[in-house]
Amino acid sequence: MKYHNLLKTAAAMALMAATAGTATAQDKTMRVRINADIRSTDPGVNRDANSDAIVLHMVEGLVGYRDDASVAPLLAKSVDVSADGKTYTFKLREGLKFSNGEPLTSADVLASWQRYVDPKTAWRCLKDVTGSSVANVTNVTAPDASTVVFTLEKPTALFLATLARTDCGGTGIYQKSSLDAQGKWVKPVGTGPFMLQEWRSGQYVQLAANPNYVSPGGERTGYVGDKTPKVSAVRFMVIPDDAAAKAALYSGDIDVISDVNNADVEEFSASNKLKVDKVASMGLTALLFQTRDPLLKDVRIRKALLLSLDIPQMTEALTNGQSPANLSVIPVPSPYSGKLQKAVPARNIEEAKKLLAEAGYKGQPIKWLATKFYPSLFDAAVLTQAMAQEAGINIEIETLDWATLLDRYTAGNYSAMSFTYSARLDPSLSFDMVSGNKDKSPNKVWDNPEGLKLINESTTIGDDKQRQALFDKLEGMIRTDVPLIPLYSGTRIGAVRANVEGYKTWPVGYPRMWGVSFAQGK
Amino acid sequence: MHALSKYVAKRLLWTLPTLLIVAVMVFFLVRMIPGDPAQLILGDSASPEELANLRANLGLDKPVPLQFLYWLGNVLRGDFGHSISNGASVLLLMLDRFQVSATIVLVAVALATLIAVPAGLIAAWRQNDHVDVAIVAASTLLMSVPSFWLGLVLLLVFGLKLGWLPVVGYVPFTEKPWTAITYVILPVVTLMLIEVGVLTRMMRASAIEILRLEYVMHARAKGLSERKVLLRHVLPNAFAPTWTMIGLVLGGLLGGIAVLETVFTLPGLGRLLVDAIFARDYPVVQGCLLFTALIYVIVNLIVDLCYPLFDPRVTAS
Repeated sequence: MKYHNLLKTAAAMALMAATAGTATAQDKTMRVRINADIRSTDPGVNRDANSDAIVLHMVEGLVGYRDDASVAPLLAKSVDVSADGKTYTFKLREGLKFSNGEPLTSADVLASWQRYVDPKTAWRCLKDVTGSSVANVTNVTAPDASTVVFTLEKPTALFLATLARTDCGGTGIYQKSSLDAQGKWVKPVGTGPFMLQEWRSGQYVQLAANPNYVSPGGERTGYVGDKTPKVSAVRFMVIPDDAAAKAALYSGDIDVISDVNNADVEEFSASNKLKVDKVASMGLTALLFQTRDPLLKDVRIRKALLLSLDIPQMTEALTNGQSPANLSVIPVPSPYSGKLQKAVPARNIEEAKKLLAEAGYKGQPIKWLATKFYPSLFDAAVLTQAMAQEAGINIEIETLDWATLLDRYTAGNYSAMSFTYSARLDPSLSFDMVSGNKDKSPNKVWDNPEGLKLINESTTIGDDKQRQALFDKLEGMIRTDVPLIPLYSGTRIGAVRANVEGYKTWPVGYPRMWGVSFAQGK
Repeated sequence: MHALSKYVAKRLLWTLPTLLIVAVMVFFLVRMIPGDPAQLILGDSASPEELANLRANLGLDKPVPLQFLYWLGNVLRGDFGHSISNGASVLLLMLDRFQVSATIVLVAVALATLIAVPAGLIAAWRQNDHVDVAIVAASTLLMSVPSFWLGLVLLLVFGLKLGWLPVVGYVPFTEKPWTAITYVILPVVTLMLIEVGVLTRMMRASAIEILRLEYVMHARAKGLSERKVLLRHVLPNAFAPTWTMIGLVLGGLLGGIAVLETVFTLPGLGRLLVDAIFARDYPVVQGCLLFTALIYVIVNLIVDLCYPLFDPRVTAS
């Protein structure tokens, strides 16, 4: 089995690689807002979304995401998968260099991998490559300076996607000088288009264009293709307050906001100082039920709640019309989001009342957890409360801070809550996100043994049609059980100053500052 | 002098039990807040095993009293631990951020005092006429306006509409002094305006009281000019309570001006504390609160020691 689509541009890439890195960057600094300081610069270790976004400007892995969240080679020139699906052979691109000018060889890949799988590193994705959930890598070898071979215990459709995951730091390869003599992380010395210039805690992280960046050429998409920097520096500025960030964008104190509030889109779009770019994202906002709750364990009550809601209207209100309703855990941009996933049941108050009567519901209060940390989660609770009341369902809202809500979610200590999940880029992971044995993982909302079997099966199948059939089956099952009500998968909206060129928002959502420049003469 | 040294030593000694009580309360109250730093770090996809491992790495799996003793022992040795969020030394983080807050607070309170003291004195002198009404109205308005609102309005006007000052960012004075000034003008002015209101009201109230006393009447009867009466007899006596208020204001503000620091994107102590609370970054929360308590105690001690300068009736004894 060969990933033919991973190879088709290899020859062109090699040719362009020699020239792309020599492109001259504008001697200017692009300023980008981040809403909180980063946690570290160690890929996939002590990280959050801001840390991932910045680290992935400096390091690159063997493979990376495209704009549509499919996987393509990055440091690899090609990826061959053996017929039994257990051996992955990565051929590295020629001429790769780290930002300090040292060449990248398969020995660096091995060294980085060994540190990743050392439990002391506390790499986020350790369990995903050492057997417990996605893959079990049993052996990694480097037969020559440009080849790395990974051997898996059994085949999985998710191995490459796991290596590319942003929360895994893209399994970025870094040079040994990234660590000190004691093996402690210092700073990333990678192959990405930028390198760390200065991290001033609580203020900004400044990256400088990497003079040794070697572009693979090809279309700039996701984290792959030509990533040549077009400005000499990028400063990610920590601006926690949305209003201050908005004022800074208008005044020209910053150039890019990668995550604009839905409510600001209309105003930003009308301004001739700004440009707005939006795309459907891969996250999920949903209403979760505790299926072991004395009241909500009755599926008829959960169904009645679903039928009492006008979900398109709720979504319209919650997202200011920016996102469509999506009643599936599979996000809208996914190629697996088909007709079945996009179907939204109509509101039916009479049917809801009938189901409630059958279940013997007599207006007992349902405690609903929400947080104002994400205003849309609180608003979703209020809208649910109002709409469900029409069917005679009595919801009491309890507002918590985000850390407490997350704690209650993890412990499964709630009756119902509004919740938002981070992006999962494969449907198997989307289903896995909500499914599991509640005795072992109380945070899971859907505990259905047959469903779990099918999800597990979906991780081992590579054929798209077979996977789609499995996901359609799972869609039907989860909709029957109603352990949650997905509302929408969101829209990622970016805004830039009018003189910024080349900035593109994408479903994964993180800002990407290579290929972005200021318009000439402005 | 000997009495003064003894007094300072006694006061400093008394701070120890205060700080110990603060340390105990801070440590245990922070842990009573629901929420788990490990969960916040790992996010919604964390498995129970990963959470347990991270808690163990952070030392959060140990019994809470043991964690307290370990932390207290380190603090006594000057080690406030490391941030759970980014691994940085808590002491260095606090000192770094305190410089930012302290610069803004000290300048703003000094300017506020320079405006409030004469304004309060004049208002008291012209009690109930239009000057007094105008000063009282202005100070009441300034006291009532939320600092974040005033900050945002100033940002909009001077940063956005007029474009005179930067809207976000911070530059240390040690690097580019002139540029640094442009970054702190708006936060300093905002804080100054808010504090002018409080201090003017305080100064006016004290001055009114003094103006009613017999010795003021006596001074006037002697034929002293109103200027001399005010400056020589009223000001020194009325300033003492305002000085106490300045001490309280300084103590409170030096612990952090979180709201203003957020609005103006300043990397100060208040924002460090608020961010740490949201992240359940226990070592930083504990360190910041203990540090804040220490500052409060020290500022009040300094205020008390300066008291005899303004009020000769007060002595160290």
